[in-house]
Amino acid sequence: MSKKMSIRDLRKEEVMWPGNPACQGCGGSIIGRLIFKALGRNSARVEVASCAPGFMNIRVPSFFGPAFEGAAAFMTGLARGYKIIGREDIVVAGLIGDGGTADIGFQGLSGAAERNENVFWFTYDNEAYMNTGGQRSSATPEFASTSTTPVAKMSRGKTSEKKNVPMILALHHVPYVATASVAYPEDLTAKIVYGKELRGFRYMHINSPCPTGWGTDPKDTIKIARLAVESGLWPLYEILDGRHFKLTYKPRELKPVSETLKIQGRFRHLKDEEIASIQKATTENWSRLLAIDGKDIF
Amino acid sequence: MKSEVMVGNKAVAYAVKLARANLIAAYPITPQTTIVEYLSEFVASGELPAEFVTVEGEITAQLVCLSGSIAGARAFTATSGEGLLYMSHALHHTARYWAPVVMAVANRSVRTMQPDHTDLLAQRETGWIQLYCENNQEVLDTGIMAYKIAEDDRVRLPVAFALDGYVLSFTAEPVSIPEQEKVDGFLKPFKSKYPVLPETWDAELEEYKKHWQQGKGINEPFTPFAGDENFSHLTMVSWGKGHDLQWRWRAHQEAMMRAKKVIKEVDEEYGRLFGRSYGGLLEEYRCEDAEAVIVVMGTLASTSRVAVDNLRKQGKRVGLVKLKSYRPFPSEEMQDIAKRVKAIGVIDRNISLGEGGIVYGSIRSALYDQVEKPKVLGYYAGLAGREVRVRDIENATEKTLKAIGSGVMDSTATWIGG
Repeated sequence: MSKKMSIRDLRKEEVMWPGNPACQGCGGSIIGRLIFKALGRNSARVEVASCAPGFMNIRVPSFFGPAFEGAAAFMTGLARGYKIIGREDIVVAGLIGDGGTADIGFQGLSGAAERNENVFWFTYDNEAYMNTGGQRSSATPEFASTSTTPVAKMSRGKTSEKKNVPMILALHHVPYVATASVAYPEDLTAKIVYGKELRGFRYMHINSPCPTGWGTDPKDTIKIARLAVESGLWPLYEILDGRHFKLTYKPRELKPVSETLKIQGRFRHLKDEEIASIQKATTENWSRLLAIDGKDIF
Repeated sequence: MKSEVMVGNKAVAYAVKLARANLIAAYPITPQTTIVEYLSEFVASGELPAEFVTVEGEITAQLVCLSGSIAGARAFTATSGEGLLYMSHALHHTARYWAPVVMAVANRSVRTMQPDHTDLLAQRETGWIQLYCENNQEVLDTGIMAYKIAEDDRVRLPVAFALDGYVLSFTAEPVSIPEQEKVDGFLKPFKSKYPVLPETWDAELEEYKKHWQQGKGINEPFTPFAGDENFSHLTMVSWGKGHDLQWRWRAHQEAMMRAKKVIKEVDEEYGRLFGRSYGGLLEEYRCEDAEAVIVVMGTLASTSRVAVDNLRKQGKRVGLVKLKSYRPFPSEEMQDIAKRVKAIGVIDRNISLGEGGIVYGSIRSALYDQVEKPKVLGYYAGLAGREVRVRDIENATEKTLKAIGSGVMDSTATWIGG
C-alpha cells in the first residue's frame, strides 16, 4: 500500500518546459506534470490521440503513437524493447485519455493487463472526447450533456452509466490499480511512488476536470475535483493484486453530489429527481466501498 | 549445410530464427498460424532467445513490433488475409516511423481461406517493401534477406514477404538450412537509430530548437544527425501539428526508390555466400530470345516454368518473368524486357475491383513512355485459391504469343478458370 505523503514531499525537479498551450484550468496538464514529477526523468511517455500530445511540454522522452487504439501495444513494444537492450530501468508510462482507455484502446488495455506487461498506465479521465470537441465516451457519466448526447426535447444527456475501468482492471488481477484526483496531489504522488517500484501492469485512473468540455469556470478545476471526491462521486482507492482493497481518503461525511453537479454546465439541465438518482447511486456505491475497505475482495 | 523437408510456414520460422529476431508478436489466423507456433517452440526450447508477445489482435501485433523496433528490437510478425486488413493502418505507421520490421504474409483471399494476392497488394500504399516467393527455399532465403534490406541505412523500411497460403504454407518441400555462423556474418546485430531514451532526449530537443531557430519549422525535414540526411527524426516530430508534411511522403518515396538497388545488392551478396539468388527484383526464365513472356508472382511461377518448358519443346519462343518485388516496382527492368519482346501476358492472382489486375496495371503504366511498346495482355488466375493448371498457363502464353502482329488490342483481361 502507498504511504501517506505531504505536499512538501513532492519532488522539486521540474519536468515541464516553459509554456503550455492547453485551455485555462486544464486538469490534464496538472496531472501530466504531477505524474512525471513523481516518476522522474528516467521514464518514457507513451501518448496516443488525446489532448496530451498537444499540451504536454514534458521533459521526458515522448513516443507519440499515431494509432488511437494502440496505447497498450506501444507501451508493450517499448517495454519489451527496453528489456532486449538491457534498459528495464526506464519506466514505460502511458498518459492516455479516457477514450484511448475505455473505448477504442480497451481491447489492447485488457490484453496488456492480462499479459501483465511491465508498464504503468495513467488514464487522465475528462469523461469525454475533449480533444475532438467533447463527444461522449464510455467514461462519460450518466445524464451528462456532451456534443453527441446533447440535452434537448427528446434527450436528457447520456443514457448509460460510466464504465468502471479501474474495477475491470482489478479483475485482471494486475499488481496495482489506483484511482486518483488532480485535487489530491499528495495522494496521487504517493501512489505513483509506490507503484513505480512494482513490476508488471500498473493502472491509475485520474479524475481530470475539463473546463471547456464540462462548462465550468477555469478557476474551479480543483474545487470540482475536490467536491467529486468529498461527495463520493470519485472515490480514492487502491487495489493490490486485484484483491486487497483500500480507500486512501475517507471524508467523515459525504457532501451532497449537487454541490459539484450544479457548478458544471454539462449537468445544468438536471431535474431534482435526476440529482436524487445520482445521489442514491453514489451513496450506495460509497457504502459498498466502505464495507470492503481494508479487506480482500474477489 | 543441412537440409530438411518442411512446409513453407516452417521455412519462415527458420528464417526468423536464423536472423535472430528477438521480438515476435503475432495473432493466430489460418494459414499463417503455424509460423508462430513453430517460433513459439523455438522460443520455448531456448533455441531462439526472444521476447514472444502473444497479443490479442493484429493491430497490437504490428504496433508492438513498431515500438519494439524503435527501442532496439529486431521485430517479426506474421499474418494473413483478414488479419492483414485489420492491421492495415498500423502498417502505415510502421513504415512512416522507418521501423525495419519484417512480416511474413501467408496470402489468403478475402473471399475464401484459399490464397490470392489481393490481401497484400491492397496494402501497396502503406510504404512497405513487398517481396513474393515461389517455393519454400525462397521463403527461407527471403526471410533472411528481408532483414538485411529493411535495416540497410539507405532504406530503413519495413519488409513484407509473401508465401501463397496452403500452396506453400502447408506444403512440404526439401529446404536447405544455412549455417547460423554464415547468416551471422551476413546479418549484423540490429541497433535502433533513434531509441526513445531519457539520456539523449534533451540533446534531441536542443537540436529541434535549433531547427526552428533556423526558421525551418515543422514543414521541413528535421535531420539532426550527420550522415542521416535522408531521414527525418520522427519520434517527437511525429504528428501533424503542422499541416504541410508532404516532404515526408517524398522522403519515403525516395527511400523506396533507393531500395531497388539495395534489394539487388542483397540478393547478389546472398547468392555469393549461400549459392542461391533470385534475380533481385525479378527473375527471367528462358527469356533470352523470347518473343512473348508471361509475368506472374508467387507459386504460379513454378507452374509457369513447366508451361514455358512445354511450349519451348514445341518450338515456341516464350519465357517467364517472375516478379519478386512488387514494392518497389521494377519499372526499369520491365522496360528493359519490353524492349526485347513483342508481347507480355500478365497473370494476376489478384484484382482491383473496378479497374482490373493490379500487376497488369503497373506493367502497362511502366511501359507507357516506351516508343516501341509490346502488346500487354491481362489474365486473372488462381483468385480465391482457384486451381491453376499447367494447361491454363500454356493457353494464356499461347494467346499472348498470337497477339503479336494482330492489329487491334483488347485491354479487357481474360478470366482463366471461370
